[in-house]
Amino acid sequence: MKSVRIWFHKFGTAKYISHLDLNRCVARAFHKAKLPMWYTEGFNPHAFVTFALPLSLGVEGKHESMDIRLLEEMPKEEIIRRLNDALPKDIRVYDVTEPKMKPGKIAYADYEIRYAADDRDPQELKKALEKLFAKDEILVEKKTKSGIKTLNLNDYLDKYKMTVADNEVVLNIVLPAGSTENVNPSLIGEAIKTYLGYSLFAVIIRSYLYDAEFHIFA
Amino acid sequence: MDLAAIFATELRKTMNQKIERILANVQKPGRYVGGELNAVIKDKADIDVRFAFCFPDVYEVGMSHLGMKILYSVLNEQPDIWCERVFAPWVDMEEEMRKHDIPLFALESGDSVAEFDFIGFTLQYELSYTNILNMLNLAGIPIKAQDRTDLFHIVAAGGPCACNPEPLADFVDLFFIGEGEQVDLEVIRLYQACKKAGKSKREFLQEAAQIEGVYVPSLYTVSYHDDGTIKEMIPHAAAPKTIRKRLELDMDQAYFPDKFVVPSIEIVHDRAVAEVQRGCIRGCRFCQAGFIYRPVREKSIDMINRQCRSICEHTGYDEISLSSLSTSDYSQIEELLETLLSWTDNEKISVSLPSLRVDGFSNELMDKLKTVRRSGLTFAPEAGTQRLRDVINKNVTDEELMKTVQTAFEGGWTTIKLYFMIGLPTETMEDVAGIAHLGQQVVEAYYSNPKRAKGRSVKVTCSASSFVPKPFTPFQWEPQDSIETLHKKQQHLIGSVHSKKLTCNWHDADTSFLEGVFARGDRRLGKVLEQAFEHGCKFDGWSDFFSLPKWLEVFEKCGIDPTFYNQRRRSFDEVLPWDHIDYGIKKSFLKRECEKAYQNVTTPNCQEACSACGATCFQGGICVEKR
Repeated sequence: MKSVRIWFHKFGTAKYISHLDLNRCVARAFHKAKLPMWYTEGFNPHAFVTFALPLSLGVEGKHESMDIRLLEEMPKEEIIRRLNDALPKDIRVYDVTEPKMKPGKIAYADYEIRYAADDRDPQELKKALEKLFAKDEILVEKKTKSGIKTLNLNDYLDKYKMTVADNEVVLNIVLPAGSTENVNPSLIGEAIKTYLGYSLFAVIIRSYLYDAEFHIFA
Repeated sequence: MDLAAIFATELRKTMNQKIERILANVQKPGRYVGGELNAVIKDKADIDVRFAFCFPDVYEVGMSHLGMKILYSVLNEQPDIWCERVFAPWVDMEEEMRKHDIPLFALESGDSVAEFDFIGFTLQYELSYTNILNMLNLAGIPIKAQDRTDLFHIVAAGGPCACNPEPLADFVDLFFIGEGEQVDLEVIRLYQACKKAGKSKREFLQEAAQIEGVYVPSLYTVSYHDDGTIKEMIPHAAAPKTIRKRLELDMDQAYFPDKFVVPSIEIVHDRAVAEVQRGCIRGCRFCQAGFIYRPVREKSIDMINRQCRSICEHTGYDEISLSSLSTSDYSQIEELLETLLSWTDNEKISVSLPSLRVDGFSNELMDKLKTVRRSGLTFAPEAGTQRLRDVINKNVTDEELMKTVQTAFEGGWTTIKLYFMIGLPTETMEDVAGIAHLGQQVVEAYYSNPKRAKGRSVKVTCSASSFVPKPFTPFQWEPQDSIETLHKKQQHLIGSVHSKKLTCNWHDADTSFLEGVFARGDRRLGKVLEQAFEHGCKFDGWSDFFSLPKWLEVFEKCGIDPTFYNQRRRSFDEVLPWDHIDYGIKKSFLKRECEKAYQNVTTPNCQEACSACGATCFQGGICVEKR
């Protein structure tokens, strides 16, 4: 038995597939692709799949991954071809590798957030956002399992870059991610709403995941 | 693959930007984006006719519907036709769409429904009618047929409720009566020819009315007696006096798709579906489907087997449901299961039967279904006493039910669900209490069975829906119980339960009231529907939205008494609003069946003997095969 890590992009219409639905979706895809998968041996056998880190509904992913166990070897090209044949059009498998890092090691993720300026001047919008980010206290409410917690976003804004492209303000930011601490990038949108009084349409894309020492998750 | 390129361009063109912007504000946005496996995308440059297949309910409900999957594929096999799916947006989405001026759109292209030649609705239940008007309005299309004057935006409708099309006569240009596989395409081809010849919409509709199975309500006028009943239905422009349904005679030749669109989000019936037969041999007197889909036509084992394989291979589903009105009546059910299980087991696919008859559940069948996940078993005795089961021609006995549940208990099942109806013709309080008694007997049968699963408790649920008399059934002349009577019966039912192992519940009587009005309504209800839509009635089948007081207000405003339609006993010689629609079933047969019901006399099923219902006129299925 061999563990393999399957890498895919999740974008466009597929960003509206929730994590729970994605589980079902890939289970069907593995079934349709007839990969020599290892099935759990329970009352209700199912293909064994673990995702590195769930992606929030509405967020796109450039380097998403899931681990499966294969009972026999299969060329990577064949796995990619079969899976892409079986998945919705906006989930595309692009690589299959040997897992190098455990998903539990994940500590950070970097995001690209594209805020639409719409009627606003993008340069002005950028300035307004920078001013907001410079505040000592940017309080937002975060929903957790144990209730609503107040978070100071300022604690997490040390690694970011803001640029203007076309009619958008593009924010590249690294935020805590993983099982110990996770900051959802949509909280920045909440802060903008609270402090600046408007809601911006944002395309949010998750790119790489990292461990605590900023090694790229691989 | 260039990642940067995908994320810069691809994602922005896969979806309509305007739609995407509102998705952040709605629940389950996956309902509105398309992009599923096997969705059909075509190049508009190659397309001559665009067909919007509209299901007047939410995505999860509509995507579970087999008829849509079949017709979607039939139409999309044609290179010059593009059929796309449209569902009713949930109220949160509708609000956002109206706020941002986004018209109703189709999932494949994201284009507005106003760009389509045909807007076709499937009529699965009466309580979806307001959604039809709301969807047309959301598309920016006039809801009334007379206000759509060009040869474009042809609003068509089909499905079981089209058997009484009259309440929708003001809104729909043409109805497909019966099965749609062939007639849909014939009408589209006629439309193309009429367009090419520069004909008017009226000319097209007149020619369409000549196609068998097409009903054009605007070509008929109705006159009424002083008491409000129908005097006469007069056809114009050479339209036929009666419209006979269309059907597939040879189910092995009938079109069946080799793949389905696979929803990316969870839907109500999230599994592969194979159709094993159409029609039902039984003739239960309350069941409309049992009459309008006659005669019974089976597919061969070989065909079903091939279709199951193909669907599983193209979708990846690990469960396949053998669909029909009564699958355990399939004449070779055990051989069929054996054939399927010869490969499904290895491929980790389970087989399920959606409906089991009390008398169709054998040890053999149980053993085969055991490989399937063991959820509860559901049976439908429909009535609590033998007398009432004879009235409705549900030919199962208490003994058969007890034998069946004993088999199930010995097989390890401990959860049994029983379906009943209350408000059936001739029903007494004794019959109502009989529901709880029967449930109690099942509980007792469990504890008296030495071979039951050890250490587990039994759970029996009796679920009672309210009977609604339907057209084309022997009870089409019957009055429906009033809401007060139904409430009394529900109270009596709950008062008859004496065990914690037995739960009884029932369906809301208010929605059944309205369903009863529209099921047997006539075209005068058009103004009620229009008013109700304007008063914001929608999703009437959903208890969170349905408001009977609102509807009663609308009826009052329109000067229409709803009880004229649902609580009045009709005489056998009354002209019924659907008398011009011909399902092959003779009115004289239905009358005979009704009289037998009053005498508690049953009728044999089609497998046992022919009862001369009239369906032999189609010269197919069980009517011509050896019994």
